[in-house]
Amino acid sequence: MLKPSIDDLIRSSIRSVLKNKSRTLLTSLGIIIGVTSVILLTSIGNGLTIYINQQFESLGSNSIFISPGKIFNDNGGFNNNESARFVTTSFTESDVNLIKRNLRGNLVIPMAMSSVEIKSNKITKTNITLAGSTYQLGETLDRLPSPGNGRWFTQEEENKNSPVLVLGYTIARDLFPTGNPLNRKVIIGGKNYKIIGVIDKKGSSFGGPDQDSQVYTPLGVVFNINGNENLAEILVKTPNKSQVDSIKEELNKLFLEKYDKDAFTVFDSSQLLDSINSIIGTLTIALTGIAAISLVVGGIGIMNIMLVTVSERTREIGLRKAIGAYPRAILLQFLFEAIILSGIGGIIGIILGSLGTAAINNFFPAKVTFSSVSIAFGVSFMVGIIFGVAPARKASKLSPIEALRYE
Amino acid sequence: MTQSLSKKSKSKIPVLELKNIVKTYTSGNTTFNALDGVSVCINRGEFVSITGPSGSGKSTLMHVVGLLDNPTSGQVLLEGQDISHLNEEELAKTRNVTLGFVFQQFNLLAKTSATENVSLPLLYSDVPKSLRLPKAIEMLNKVGLGDKLNNTPAQLSGGQQQRVAIARALINDPKIILADEPTGNLDSKSGKEIISLFHQLHDEGRTIILVTHDMDLAKQAQRIIIIKDGKVTNKKC
Repeated sequence: MLKPSIDDLIRSSIRSVLKNKSRTLLTSLGIIIGVTSVILLTSIGNGLTIYINQQFESLGSNSIFISPGKIFNDNGGFNNNESARFVTTSFTESDVNLIKRNLRGNLVIPMAMSSVEIKSNKITKTNITLAGSTYQLGETLDRLPSPGNGRWFTQEEENKNSPVLVLGYTIARDLFPTGNPLNRKVIIGGKNYKIIGVIDKKGSSFGGPDQDSQVYTPLGVVFNINGNENLAEILVKTPNKSQVDSIKEELNKLFLEKYDKDAFTVFDSSQLLDSINSIIGTLTIALTGIAAISLVVGGIGIMNIMLVTVSERTREIGLRKAIGAYPRAILLQFLFEAIILSGIGGIIGIILGSLGTAAINNFFPAKVTFSSVSIAFGVSFMVGIIFGVAPARKASKLSPIEALRYE
Repeated sequence: MTQSLSKKSKSKIPVLELKNIVKTYTSGNTTFNALDGVSVCINRGEFVSITGPSGSGKSTLMHVVGLLDNPTSGQVLLEGQDISHLNEEELAKTRNVTLGFVFQQFNLLAKTSATENVSLPLLYSDVPKSLRLPKAIEMLNKVGLGDKLNNTPAQLSGGQQQRVAIARALINDPKIILADEPTGNLDSKSGKEIISLFHQLHDEGRTIILVTHDMDLAKQAQRIIIIKDGKVTNKKC
């Protein structure tokens, strides 16, 4: 049987480590910083992923988008190919009708975009995305103003190309910092437009346009401003989610007959989400890897202090050997001390990382995951073993005679 | 413990016997025999001192007797068993149960209570955990420190520290107590008290080996082994 027993070793190692509290704390500092930053970064990555998932759910899980150009590459990531990215394909009314004819039972919503300058009484905002669409878009994309904040435009207003606007939360605040924007006038391209609704705050979706800065108006209004009837996007809403994949396939087939395969992209929110999640995942791993370097530095700090400890306690090692400690018992004792040092760092780091995450969460999405905590703790444990072995071996190999003579 | 103490009868087999021990140190091209064919035997219940001038091989002999070092050649018999070729781990185990060490520097663990210091050897032995503290208290009572159980070395005088060290040496009921200049760091009064404690232990039937360069101290023992230039010069058994 192992002598001393594991719990004896742990107890005596904890006692030696606690004999020098300030040194212990300083030695663990590297690990504390490492673990804290690993936990913070993974928590931010995780929080971001959760947040974006929520954002995308608001896009509607049974919505399919058809955009010009090739958005995704063959691996599911975003396309980086210059020539494909700047394809200037535009869809038109004929494409909408094509879908409507071939895929009955689905709601087809065309969208046109224009970048405009909007003037209120005193404030002018440029580069605002004006999205022209149908009376159905507000409900389909969960953009309906809540009661008291006006309304979406009606089918009648759409048919008449009425100059009415539904503002995103941010742009409404920007144009009218004080007072209610409802029923006020703004000027776009020299013409008056009436604000009929303000959408609640949706938050910006990472990687996509800021939804709160968008302005919505009937489709024909944007056609008139642009001077053409080109569509920037076509939205197809299936009756239920299970049909999304088959409809996507049919849409692809339909558009391939008319366009080159790189000229358009049929995608749904889950596809976009997968791409963004893979980007965040890669980014989180990369940043965590950088943070993990400090764990290595912390480990070297522990090794350094353990080597000092072994020198300082040479006589103790000699005594222990004289009274019956065999080399492995000494090795384990010092190894346990190193593990406890890094373990203390790991625990403090986890506490600080969790507190930091809670603090960050007030203004940025962040959430501690069980896996990040267990990995951080496991890594600090491993650091203790890896960097504790050399000093512990040195201690175990000391000759008792030399060690007892050590001054 | 009581078992061996009750057997005050001195068996025929010496508790420790060294036969023709040679210990050679090599430094560069020169070799040096620190022990040059030393043969000694220690009988059960004996109080023996080993003495000699510095450089005589006294320390080397102590290391061999203390099973801290293997001889280059020769035999070390512990109760008739040859142990000169045990590996490091076996030697450690043998030291744990056979020998009680008392050092000049006390070698107590700092910031550690007297009872914990005394029970340290039990950490490496088969004594059940529940018996450690009672045994440590018993040993501290024996050396007259029953009222200092929780004191750390810094809270004890030199003489008291050495008593703690002696209690530690006694806790595993060793066959031999090996004391290396045990009074070297003490004032003469404390030194005398420690020596009288050794006498008391000897009277209880314990085997004590006292290593010292001080002839007056050596004379306190029943028998003196004098070593000079790596050879034992007087009666060997």
